[in-house]
Amino acid sequence: MKCRRCKKQAVVALPGHNTAFCAECYLLFFKRQVEKAIKDHKLLTQKDKILVAISGGKDSLALAWQLANLGYDVTGLHIDLAIPGSSEQARELTTSFCKNFNIELKILEIKNEGLAIPEVKKRIRRPICSVCGQIKRYFFNKFALDHGFTVLATGHNLDDEVARLFSNTLRWDTAHLSDQGPLLPAENGFVRKVKPLYRLTEFETANLCYLVGIEYGFAPCPYSTGASFTYYKRLLEELEFKQPGRKLQFYEGFLNRGQKGFKLLEQKQGQELTPCPECGYPTSEELCGICRIKKVMEKI
Amino acid sequence: MKVFIEPENKEIKLTGKTKTVLGLLNKLNLRPTQALVIRNGQLLTPDRRLYPDDNIIIRPVISRG
Repeated sequence: MKCRRCKKQAVVALPGHNTAFCAECYLLFFKRQVEKAIKDHKLLTQKDKILVAISGGKDSLALAWQLANLGYDVTGLHIDLAIPGSSEQARELTTSFCKNFNIELKILEIKNEGLAIPEVKKRIRRPICSVCGQIKRYFFNKFALDHGFTVLATGHNLDDEVARLFSNTLRWDTAHLSDQGPLLPAENGFVRKVKPLYRLTEFETANLCYLVGIEYGFAPCPYSTGASFTYYKRLLEELEFKQPGRKLQFYEGFLNRGQKGFKLLEQKQGQELTPCPECGYPTSEELCGICRIKKVMEKI
Repeated sequence: MKVFIEPENKEIKLTGKTKTVLGLLNKLNLRPTQALVIRNGQLLTPDRRLYPDDNIIIRPVISRG
């Protein structure tokens, strides 16, 4: 295969775009996809003070690298989840990446909040992936608000977003369908959240990391075995193989023609959020999810 | 041909009719966008020819958690 732009030997083939690129042109392709996402949905401006959630995986590292490379004001936040055999490596990879690429990094140790994930897993009955995600979202949001960041950027890619859309659709979860997208505007208690990699697949971020020389963690989290999202991703990958480009069409179609309807529905029948009396985080319950988890952890 | 499969670093030896990257991926039950295929530090597209002396790294890209 030859590179579509310069006709050199291609190193990445992208059936979804019916194209292939050499290393140099691939980096240009990647940059343009991120720029298009930012422009189409007004995700970021050069004046923004951006907090990037960095897990140490390929997507968050690729995002931090690309935003820094585009000249944005970027600071990384890594949450050390205290998971044996996983968190130590993730923290090391994140630290070394930020040092190598000159990106400022903050680290938050979740055990200092009384929420080390192995301990939470022992005491909370819900699936740990869902609880862990809830804890991370809470502290990324809190850190951004407490430290004056104007926006929180996460490395969610097209595969993450399409798997989530598929899952939300299977359950006809109108609340989640109403606010799924690359931009969640700031609201009382919530910082603005953006997903600038939403047009790029996991394959594409993995290729970027390889070509740029970003070392990332590719061992799976030891607690994630059997997670339903992994299963949906495999199903959707098979669909993409048979119908290249389908994932991006499905997602962009939802953003352009589906989401508004769910938003209107949710405005009519959605639950109102009020500040948690203990921490101020917006919640539809008496106490927010994190304060409820903390109460359970304190009991034992 | 030696094939190293990450993240387990499992090594397998292939002999016989695997002539292209696509053929190798098919043998491993992987679609072309599910893994990076690396030879001598270079990424390979599915149409690339493979040779008996090759050392190939397969790096699956799907993330879990």
